[in-house]
Amino acid sequence: MPYKNLHILVLLREINDSRPPARVTARGAGISDRGLRRVPNPADLIALEEALRLKDSLGATVTALAVGPGRLDDTLRLAFSLGADRGIRFWDHGVEGGDAVADARCLARIVAILAPTLVFTGHRMQDRGDDPVPALAAATAGIPCITAAVSLALKQQGVEALRKSDRGGRQKVEAPFPCTVLFDEGETPRYPSIEAITRSLTAPIEEWDLADLGLPFREVGAIGARLATAEFGLPRPDPVRVVTPDPALPAFERILSLLSGGIKAREGKTHHLGAEETAAKLWEIFREEGLAQ
Amino acid sequence: MMFPNLFSPLKLGTVEVKNRISFQPHLTNLAVGNLPSERQMYYWGERAKGGAGLIITEEMSVHPTDMAYEKLIDVYHPEVIPGFKKITDYVHQFDGKIFAQLNHNGQQGDGSISRLPVWAPSPMPDVLFRETPKEMEHEDIEEVASYFAKCAIHVREGGFDGIELQFGHSSLARQFLSPLTNFRGDEYGGSLENRMRAPLKFISAVRKAVGNDFTLGIRMCADEMIPGGLDLGQVQEICARFEASGLIDFMDLSIATFYNLYLVEGSMHTPLGYTIPLAAGVRERVKIPVFCTGRINDPVMAEKVLANGQADMIGMCRGLICDPFLPKKARDGRMEDIRYCIACNQGCIGRIGMNKTLGCVQNPAVGREKEWGEGTLTKANVRKKVTVVGGGPGGMWAAKMAGRRGHSVTLYDRNEALGGQVRTAMKGTGRDEFGVIIRNEKDQVHKAGVKVNLGAEATAEQVLTEKPDVVIIATGSLPKEHPVGGADGPAVYNVWQVLDGQAELGAKVCLIDYDGHHRASATAEFMANLGKTVHVITSSLFVGAELGPTQDLYLTRQRLLQKGVTFTPDIAVMEVAGESGAKTVKGFNVYSNQWQEWGPFDTIVLAMGQRVDDSLYFSLKGKVAELYRIGDCVAPRKVDMAIWEGHRIGREI
Repeated sequence: MPYKNLHILVLLREINDSRPPARVTARGAGISDRGLRRVPNPADLIALEEALRLKDSLGATVTALAVGPGRLDDTLRLAFSLGADRGIRFWDHGVEGGDAVADARCLARIVAILAPTLVFTGHRMQDRGDDPVPALAAATAGIPCITAAVSLALKQQGVEALRKSDRGGRQKVEAPFPCTVLFDEGETPRYPSIEAITRSLTAPIEEWDLADLGLPFREVGAIGARLATAEFGLPRPDPVRVVTPDPALPAFERILSLLSGGIKAREGKTHHLGAEETAAKLWEIFREEGLAQ
Repeated sequence: MMFPNLFSPLKLGTVEVKNRISFQPHLTNLAVGNLPSERQMYYWGERAKGGAGLIITEEMSVHPTDMAYEKLIDVYHPEVIPGFKKITDYVHQFDGKIFAQLNHNGQQGDGSISRLPVWAPSPMPDVLFRETPKEMEHEDIEEVASYFAKCAIHVREGGFDGIELQFGHSSLARQFLSPLTNFRGDEYGGSLENRMRAPLKFISAVRKAVGNDFTLGIRMCADEMIPGGLDLGQVQEICARFEASGLIDFMDLSIATFYNLYLVEGSMHTPLGYTIPLAAGVRERVKIPVFCTGRINDPVMAEKVLANGQADMIGMCRGLICDPFLPKKARDGRMEDIRYCIACNQGCIGRIGMNKTLGCVQNPAVGREKEWGEGTLTKANVRKKVTVVGGGPGGMWAAKMAGRRGHSVTLYDRNEALGGQVRTAMKGTGRDEFGVIIRNEKDQVHKAGVKVNLGAEATAEQVLTEKPDVVIIATGSLPKEHPVGGADGPAVYNVWQVLDGQAELGAKVCLIDYDGHHRASATAEFMANLGKTVHVITSSLFVGAELGPTQDLYLTRQRLLQKGVTFTPDIAVMEVAGESGAKTVKGFNVYSNQWQEWGPFDTIVLAMGQRVDDSLYFSLKGKVAELYRIGDCVAPRKVDMAIWEGHRIGREI
C-alpha cells in the first residue's frame, strides 16, 4: 500500500462568534474577553472531516492540534469524538502577543517534530478572514502549501487538489508529500455519537509547551514578533448616502434642496369637516399611518 | 444604552473626547474688558457638567483690526492666560475637553469699535457691515499669521486641549478662499492654490507654534450658498487639500455667509438637521473626523447621523444652551426630562445680534449659571401654600420652581390644557415647534408635585377661601383692539381668533399689522394656506419688521410672496369702514402724509399687539399676604419674559 503510515495533522483554531457584540479593551489594543463566545472555526472542522474520511478509507492516523489556553481542550475533545486518534494542545505564556511570523515558527516546529504526511486546516477564519500562519509555517518548513482547496485526491507520491482560482475558475494542482492543504470547501462535518462523546471526555490530551518544541523564547510571542500592536479601534462606518446639493445648481436651488430635504415636512394637511366626518377621517389617517388596524 | 454611537469616544488629534457631543462655538457677549470672565467659566462649565464631551469656546479675536463685536476676548494679550486657566481647570473637573476658537473676521466687521480700518483680501465691503476694508498688504498677511501663532501659544498656556481656527461663515480665511471676496492679482488670489495660500499660512503658523502634540482643527464653510461663492464641490477639494497638508486633526463645518445668515442659524422654519447632506458630502472626501452642526437638537437624530456615517461628531449649540444636561439625560435614558430647543432664535441670536448678553427663552439660567445653574436651587425654609393662576409658560415655571423647593403648589388654568397663549401661537404656520415649550414644562410641573386644576376659572373669592400664603397671578394678556373707528363688529377679527378657528374668513382678507412679529406674519401665512387672498398693511418700513434678529425675515418674506400675499408698508391706518363683505381701510403714508384707501375686503384681521388681563390681580390686591403677578399680565411681552419672571418668583418665594 502506498499510503501505509499516512499521518495527517489537523490544526483546529477557534473564532469569536460574530453574533454577540464585541467591545474594545480599556487599553484599546484588542477585543475584551468579557461576554465573548468562542467556537471552532467551521473551515477547520471541514479539514478535519476530510482527514477523517482518509482515515476511514485508508487507515490514516489523525492528530488534532490546537494552539491556545485550556479552553481549547473542548475543541480537541470534539475532534476525539469525531474520530481523531491523538490530541495535542500547545500553549506557553511565552507565545502570547506573537504576530503571524512568530506564531508560524511554533507551528513549523510542531510540524517538524510530528513529521506528518499531510497538514490540514481551514483556508479562512470565519471571523476575520485569512490567517497566514499555516502558510507561513509551510514556508518556514519548506513544504508545499495548497490554499483554497475544495477537494483532494491522493496519488502515488503526493496529492492532487482542486483549488479555487481567479474569477470562479478551478485549478488542479499537484504537490509531493509532505504537504499543507488549506480547505475552503469540503464535506460537511459529521455528527459524533453519544458514545464517542462520552469516550472523548476521558481521552488523553497531550499538553506541549515551549520546552517541548525546543524553541528559544526570544523567537516567539511578543518578543519574537516583528509587528507591535499600538492601538485597536473599529473603522468608521461608511456613510449612508444622502443627496448632497449639486454644486452645479444655482445657490437658490441649492438652498431649496437643503430646506426641503429635511426630516419632516413643516406643514400638515388641514381638513374642514363636520364632527362625524372628522372622526371617520381620523381613523382613515390612523390606519394609513399604521397606528390602528 | 440607547445611543451607542453618540456615547462612544472619539480621538481628535492627541485628545480623546468621551462622547460625540460638541458644544459648538457661538458668541456669548459674556467677556468682561475683552478678557475671559467668571460668567464664561460657569457657562461653559455647566455644559461640561451636563455631559458634553467637547466644548469649543466662542470666537476669540487674534488681531486688533478684528473687533467685529464689542465683547470679544482679545487672545493676543497675554493677560488672557490666567482667565483661560480658570476656565479650562473648571471644565476639566467634569471630564470635558475644551478647545479655543481663534478668528479674524476680516471684512465681516467694522472699525467703529476698534477705530481701525478692517482688513480683507480685497476692498469689498461685507453685505451686513457695509464698510470698505483695506486690501491687505503682504506684511499684513504675515502679521495676521504671526498673531495667530502668538494667540495659539496663549491658548496652549491657558490649559486648552486644542484649537479650532474659524475658516467658516464669518472669517478672514474664508474671504481669502472665496471668489466672492478675493479679487487679488498676486500670489494670494486667482487660482485655488493661490487662494488657499493665506489660510494655509495661518494654519502652519499655528501648528509651528503649538507643536505636533496639540490638537488643531478648522471650521470650514461647507457651502456659501450664494451665486459666485464657494459650493460643496469646491469646498470638498479645499478640505481634501487642507487634510493633505497634514497640519490639521479635525474638520468642523458651518454653512453660508452674511448674505444668507438665516442659513447659519436656521430657525424653526428650517428642517431639523438641514446641514447633514453637506457634512456627508465633506466626509466623503476627507478621512479626519468631520463635525455636523445645524438644528440637531435631539439625541435620537444625532445617533442616526453617526450610525449612518454622515458625520463623526455632532455639534450642538442651541440644544445645549437650552438644556445643558441633554447629554446626561440622553445617556441615562431620561428622554422625557430633556428640554428641547425650539429654534425660536429669540434669546440666543436675537439677543446677541443686538449686542446683549446671550440668553435663552426657555432657559433663564443662561449666563447666570453661578447663581441659577444646576444644584443652586435650595429648599424653602418655610413650606408655603402657593396658588398660581394661569398655566401659560410663566405660570408653569413659577409652579415648577416653587414645587421643587418644597412649597405646596396649586396651579389653576381656565383652559382644558396647560400652555396658555402658546397653544394659540403654535397654530401659526410653521410655528408648531413653538408648542414644544408646553411639552418641555408640562411633565416637569407634575414631577414637581404641583396640583394642577384645569378648566377652572379662578375667582378672587375662590382663591381666598383656600387661604393661600402666596398667590402668583399669571393670567396673561388679550389681543388689543384698534382704536380707530369701525375696527370692531362683524367681519373684524384679531389674530388669536383666526388661529383658534373662531373667525369666519371671507375670500379677501386685509391684515393690519402693528406687530411685525410672527403673530402677524404666521397668521398671514395661515390664511394664505386656507386659500385666502391676503393683503398686509403695516406702519413699518416692511412686513415682519421684528423678524430680523431671529433670522426669520428672509424665509418668511419668501413664503409670503410665494403664497401671493401682498404688502403695503408705511401706512398709519385711521379708519375701517363699510359693511361685511365690502370693508375698506383708510390711512395715510407716515412719510408722505398722502391718504389712501384699500378695499373692498371680506374680512379685516387685526394684529395690534396685546393688553394685560389683570382683573384678578386687582381684585386680590391687599387681600393676600404675598401677591405677585408675572408675565403678560404685568405688561404684555414675549414668552422669554414670562418664563424669566416665573422662574425668578418661583426661586424667591
